Amino acid sequence: MKKFYNSALARGLLWQLIGTLIGAGLVTGIRALMGLEALGRFGFSEPAWVFGGLVGTLAFLGGNGVVSDWIKWARGIPTHDHHEDPPGWEKFINVSLDHKVIGIQYTLTAIIVLGLGGTFAMIFRTELAASGLQFLNGTQYNTMMGLHGIVMIVAILLGIAGMMNYLVPLLIGAADMAFPRLNAFSFWITIPAAIWLVSSLFLGGFDTGWTGYPPLSARAPVGMQMFFLAVFVVGWSSILGGLNLLATVARMRARGMTSFRLPIFVWASIATSLISLTATQLIGLSFQMVMFQRLFGMGFFDPAKGGNPVLFQHLFWFYSHPAVYVFILPGLGIISELLPVFVRKPLFGYRWVAMSSLGIALVGFLVWAHHMFTSGMNEYLRVPFMYSTLLVAVPTGVKFFSWVATLWGGKITVPTPMLFVLGGIVVFLMGGLTGPPNATVSTDLHLHDTYFIVGHFHDTMFGGFIFPFFAAIYYWFPKATGRRMNEFLGKVHFWLMTPAFLVMTFGMMRIGLLGMRRRISDYDAALGFDTTHLVLTVAGFLIFTSVLVFVYNLFRSMKKGEAAAGNLWNSRSPEWLVPSPMPAHNYDRPFEVVGEPYDYGLPGSKFVEFAKDK
Amino acid sequence: MAHTNKPEALRLGITIFIFLAVLTVLEFVIAIALNALPLLVVVALTKAGLVVYYYMHIYKLQDESGGEHDSYAYKTGTNRLGLWLFLLSDSFVFGGLLVSRFNLLGFTRPHLNQILGLGVTVVLLVSSFFMNRAESMMAHGDKKGFLTSTLITIILGAGFVIGVVGVEWQLAAAEGIRASSLVDGGIFYMMTGMHAFHVLTGVIFLWIVYRNARKDVYSAERHWGVEAATVYWHFVDVVWIFFYPALYLIGSVI
Ligand SMILES: [Cu+2]
Repeated sequence: MKKFYNSALARGLLWQLIGTLIGAGLVTGIRALMGLEALGRFGFSEPAWVFGGLVGTLAFLGGNGVVSDWIKWARGIPTHDHHEDPPGWEKFINVSLDHKVIGIQYTLTAIIVLGLGGTFAMIFRTELAASGLQFLNGTQYNTMMGLHGIVMIVAILLGIAGMMNYLVPLLIGAADMAFPRLNAFSFWITIPAAIWLVSSLFLGGFDTGWTGYPPLSARAPVGMQMFFLAVFVVGWSSILGGLNLLATVARMRARGMTSFRLPIFVWASIATSLISLTATQLIGLSFQMVMFQRLFGMGFFDPAKGGNPVLFQHLFWFYSHPAVYVFILPGLGIISELLPVFVRKPLFGYRWVAMSSLGIALVGFLVWAHHMFTSGMNEYLRVPFMYSTLLVAVPTGVKFFSWVATLWGGKITVPTPMLFVLGGIVVFLMGGLTGPPNATVSTDLHLHDTYFIVGHFHDTMFGGFIFPFFAAIYYWFPKATGRRMNEFLGKVHFWLMTPAFLVMTFGMMRIGLLGMRRRISDYDAALGFDTTHLVLTVAGFLIFTSVLVFVYNLFRSMKKGEAAAGNLWNSRSPEWLVPSPMPAHNYDRPFEVVGEPYDYGLPGSKFVEFAKDK
Repeated sequence: MAHTNKPEALRLGITIFIFLAVLTVLEFVIAIALNALPLLVVVALTKAGLVVYYYMHIYKLQDESGGEHDSYAYKTGTNRLGLWLFLLSDSFVFGGLLVSRFNLLGFTRPHLNQILGLGVTVVLLVSSFFMNRAESMMAHGDKKGFLTSTLITIILGAGFVIGVVGVEWQLAAAEGIRASSLVDGGIFYMMTGMHAFHVLTGVIFLWIVYRNARKDVYSAERHWGVEAATVYWHFVDVVWIFFYPALYLIGSVI
């Protein structure tokens, strides 16, 4: 416990509390002096909460020490290039500059946040098990549902940041990320943000869902503002993480690692980072504009003042559609990365797969208005956005053809990581095939705002992120710890989760087609959806249980897992050619790339060659 | 500009400044006399191109700083890429604001004080000139000249913030353009506020660099901090090159 109280995490949280009270107190004092209403329904007034939240976030960062080197630089004091981490587990709750530690910090936080988002889902899923309102009221239901959405999005952003941070420097042979302090900063700002996100529960909640559309979001309770603030801060984490990754890949590669010898996961990370670097600013801006509309009465989205609520949707979806590719591209990269290892064959069409990630990312910038076919936007926009959206199927199809052709005729072995890879392909295929009906205007007018959409995007999120994320954890766990995770429990996890998940999404799509609207807390018993909803709820709890099995396996294997120091999966990738766990400063001897990354099974082929000495 | 000698570098700075000044006057005249939107766009793009190339030295991104990954030159190359990526990201904020402005106001604009608008634009332009001068002085080892030019830049930058937030905002409010009035007020305060916030951070950045230079932290060969502050400052100027016509010149007054 003493180690916790002395940690950067505990210091940060304490300072966040102090900073929030100071910031909010200041605004309250000023308002009292100006003769404005000083207090609100939730203790402080709304401006005091927002300003307090901002000051608290900055106080967290100042207090936990992640910015102290920068402050020294500003004062003209030089600092050490490297920091040594303490040997035990406490390095994970302290500021570390090591990309591997930060990667694990991200991943563990992602799992915790994933659990939180899952818990919210279980709560409102239970409410939906039967028609009629059982134990939640409307606002509580809406807040749970909105929080489920945004908390899961944050969990996914943390999860992909974890994978990219841990893996990319190892895959390209770098000692660390290009900007280690910025990397630590990007991780630590997500902690205060996560707290603000959850705080919205206690500040009246918010009833808009995760999309936060005005005009509803312009008059929701204070919780709405904390939601906006939290997403804004998480957005900065995503922007700076993307920046760091692009600089790392551009500048820190091993000798001989030309662009078409980069591992596919690195290509996927580049595509993801290009989106998060640029488009994220627009969701930040749109949320900031609603915040200002609420605080200062600016009329951006208020038609009475000449504003336009549809503008919000344009700004919001300009990020939030490409964001979907931020979520799935790293996962699809993991699939392409692991498949050849377990098939013992070269990846089919390497160059096409590498380019398809960039293709998806770039086309993804031109499709956002497919979320707005029913919004009342100018009608002439519908058809171009329909075609641009359908175009995404082309680079996505390239990936599927590559996977199928890679599997064809291979010597397939199926340990747990490969199970999740195969599960990911199947589930993502379901998500992909149910996409075009939503992109096509004529069918979307019927499907919009129904459970069909809910089923569709859960398929894409699970196939594109959840399955590959679990595959990556089972696969690289030995690299991080020197032990492997339990195979039996891994298979229990998979066989519990996958059928339950498919039943759940197919059930959602079925009632969606029959007219079940999404985002509502209750439905008419006469619609006849009670049985299906009960099945969906049971399936949801099975998925939740399977993830508990995973978490148990994860923590048990850290201590008691079977030792695995060598090249467990017989991979060609450089990180497996050195012993596990990975040394603190990565490769003792640099390597040079001398061949193609995925030439599995070709006699005499070689990907990397380590230098004889330093 | 490591290969040019000092007088040459200073002369180039002056030439570019004269071009920019002439284009700004031209822009103003076009808006008053012709109200020709395409011409205004061309002028703004030309100005931005001049600043990005000659003042921000975007071509340095291509510098072959080979050799050891641990060397100062290589690390500076990495830092430079990081800074430009940040500016790319930031320009999406300003782009989003421009989109919002044209979506909400179309080809109308709020009734603002033209003299003051031109005045702060000139102040920022002159500050860019001194910023460029400061950087070339540092690159040629003239610490005293660097400090003087940086100080002038800081004062002009502070003058710009005071001109916009302290004077222009008050004048606009007196004309009835308030944040909470019609949406043209919201857009005006949001755009100028976001930009002024960036100018303010630039002033703070320059002040830090100024203090460090007095402590001899930088040298003619090693002054990444100075370069970063310079490029950031010019970026803020580029933003204003687009914001100024968008707020003051394009369209008809409401
Ligand atoms: Cu979309």
